[in-house]
Amino acid sequence: MPKSPRPRARFSFSPAVRALFLAAATCGAVLPALAAPEHEEVDKLMQAGKLDEAMTKADAFLKDKPRDPQMRFLKGVIQLDTGKRAEAIAAFTQLTQDAPELPEPYNNLAVIYASQNQFDKARGALESAIRTNPSYATAQENLGDVYARLASQAYSKALQLDQNNTAVQPKLAVIRTLFTPTPVGGKPTAVVASAAPAPAPVAKAPAPAPAPAAPPPAKVAAAPAPVAAAPKAPEATPAPAPAPAPAASTASNAEVESAVRAWASAWASQDMERYLAAYGPDFAPAGGQSRKSWEEDRRARIVGKTSISVNIENLAIKVDGQTATAKFRQIYRADNLNVSSRKTLDMQRSGNHWHIRKESVGG
Amino acid sequence: MADIVRHGRLQNPPFRLRSGQLLAALMTASALMLAAPGAALASNNTKTGSSAKAKATAGGHAGNRSAGRSSAKAQPKGRKGAVAAEARTAGATARPARKPASNAAPIQEAGNAEARLIAVYEMFGRGQARPALAKARDLVRDYPNFQLAQLVYGDLLAAQVPPSNALPDTASIAKMRGSPAMAELHEESKRRLQALRERPPANTVPSQFLALSTRSRYAIAVDASRSRLYLFENSDKGLRLTADYYISVGKSGTDKATEGDARTPLGVYYITSSLDPKSLKDFYGAGALPINYPNPYDLRRGKTGGGIWLHGTPPQQFARAPLASDGCVVMANPDLKQLLRKVQIGATPVVTARSLQWITQPQAEKESQSITGAINGWKDARANGNEAQLKKFYLPDFQRSSKKSTEGISAVDDEVKYAQGKRVQLKDMSYLHWRDGDDTMIVTFGEVFEGEKSGRSRRQYWLRQGTDWKLFHEEILG
Repeated sequence: MPKSPRPRARFSFSPAVRALFLAAATCGAVLPALAAPEHEEVDKLMQAGKLDEAMTKADAFLKDKPRDPQMRFLKGVIQLDTGKRAEAIAAFTQLTQDAPELPEPYNNLAVIYASQNQFDKARGALESAIRTNPSYATAQENLGDVYARLASQAYSKALQLDQNNTAVQPKLAVIRTLFTPTPVGGKPTAVVASAAPAPAPVAKAPAPAPAPAAPPPAKVAAAPAPVAAAPKAPEATPAPAPAPAPAASTASNAEVESAVRAWASAWASQDMERYLAAYGPDFAPAGGQSRKSWEEDRRARIVGKTSISVNIENLAIKVDGQTATAKFRQIYRADNLNVSSRKTLDMQRSGNHWHIRKESVGG
Repeated sequence: MADIVRHGRLQNPPFRLRSGQLLAALMTASALMLAAPGAALASNNTKTGSSAKAKATAGGHAGNRSAGRSSAKAQPKGRKGAVAAEARTAGATARPARKPASNAAPIQEAGNAEARLIAVYEMFGRGQARPALAKARDLVRDYPNFQLAQLVYGDLLAAQVPPSNALPDTASIAKMRGSPAMAELHEESKRRLQALRERPPANTVPSQFLALSTRSRYAIAVDASRSRLYLFENSDKGLRLTADYYISVGKSGTDKATEGDARTPLGVYYITSSLDPKSLKDFYGAGALPINYPNPYDLRRGKTGGGIWLHGTPPQQFARAPLASDGCVVMANPDLKQLLRKVQIGATPVVTARSLQWITQPQAEKESQSITGAINGWKDARANGNEAQLKKFYLPDFQRSSKKSTEGISAVDDEVKYAQGKRVQLKDMSYLHWRDGDDTMIVTFGEVFEGEKSGRSRRQYWLRQGTDWKLFHEEILG
């Protein structure tokens, strides 16, 4: 289900959970709601690679609303994309001053610094990003990469090795757009899985600059947490065993189950070919990410782990003709990571096979 | 922006979840491993320990660009000022005795680095990984060539990397952690901590210092097993430990015997000169203090080599590995600078021991009784003009050396003539005791004949034979 062109951003879960989301379920990730149609338009143009046009639109918009953070941010990203690093630095730096509570500009500053080999500056920026928003996933992940690079540099210095020939430079993730959330206090499950519907709370359009008192972060943080951490939410947990199903669908159930298990086992065994093949041609990666870049992402996240295990519990399957939904608890372990979460796979039959066409967390 | 809140926040702070396993993993590869349990203890002891502040720093890493200095003949490698060992001790750049070598380092600078490193250990030991990381970052910013600090900083950073991180850097980190050179840094870490944890008992001195004249305002003792140099201030109240520093010794350890064996000599020595750092290669850092290896006892035992210095570190290394030099004692430059402003040429003793034993003042007095008796016997025999009795105090192969001309007292018999039956007073007595296979005593004193205002300064080397002490060497100092 190709989403309306939404910015492909990576969001806001703890590294653990985020690793999963990003890895497996970007599709279900929360999508930012762009406040004004202009934002969306610029973003669309950017995704289409029409950077000049996007810039023109952005500039036009900023003429009227020069302080609009979202558009300034988008413009910064365009500058970044067009290699105007100095301008991008200036734009993001200004944003960090005007709206210090935003983590995104810090993150992108870090991306630029890192690309210039200024890892300590990158670290500083990312730590600022995380200070404003402790669970900001992209920044967390970038910071992990930066720490790894700094550690590597420190060890090189400890050993007095030539530092020019150490590992390939880490590539940090750019955030493409400011995030604007769906209303807090919606259905808990909405956090992850519901991204799709709501065409953004218009009322929440990026308020002009100085933050009119954001809700106390701690409180906000507390609300969605149970969802992501999943273990509770009893009402969301399907009955352990599929309800007695019509005999006709039993066979289909078994087929779906075996497809799900094959998918998990391919993942666990890091068999990328089989793993990617579990996703149908109509599978839409989250955030408008292209299939190709999604595959690369997945590859990067899966290959190279020492070990992965993916266990499936409480699998509940509902078949409806050519489509099916599989809901289960996914227990993911990789190296030192151990995450349990709810997962929903929307499946589509083609011939004798069931393919994944949507993957989401929660539900 | 009111609406920057994120949906996906978790209650868990980002890094907590894995800290358990990660810490365990880190510990196995980390310099911090050695620190965590007892680091707090170290600081306590440091404070209570006889006044030493956790000052020192130094030592480090095998630079291996040794200049082959362990022998006099191998010496003259320096470009400008490097002189053969003999020349150096004689003193081209040597400064006059009894004047502390001057140097303008601010006193606060030294020690600082190690103390700060230990503070990082302590924080980490208390579970304050983030503040420890920040402190470590400041430390490596100030001392970028402090390799152990870099290692600790690296360890702390690596602890912050999510375990799922599978980037090239994680691989290279693992590889570097496995590097053999890491072992040296871990050893340095261990020794620094050990030296700070296990402090000398209060009111004790190294067992070699039985008595030290106040003309020696400072004394130095090196404990090779701890990679530590202890600096004492001497006054009429006795020796007081004022600072101690991490040091490196020879690649092959201690107990130097032959030229080129890359070992640091063990024994009782004196600083013989202070070399102008401008005359030295960068490799020696802030300066160099040659000692009188081989001393008369070493020569008597056939030891060879020379050019043993206390010196600094090259610009690229704050400290070197515990076993790194060709026999010299190597200190971090800030630490050496402190020493440079204190030592007195010819008068500051340097004890180098495999492992120091610490004794109390009463023990020291008791230990010095027998040699005091021997000296008094020697003095009386000479004053009485009893040549036969005096001779009993000398070994047959006794030798005398003098910086000045010998002035007609080149033989034992001359002592009698020299004394001419006059009463003499010995003053400024120093007894330095060295015991290995043999029992030796290095006695320094001044003598003043009745009716005169001054006299000679002598340094005598005594060897115990059975219950008797015998002279085998004497230096007339002036």
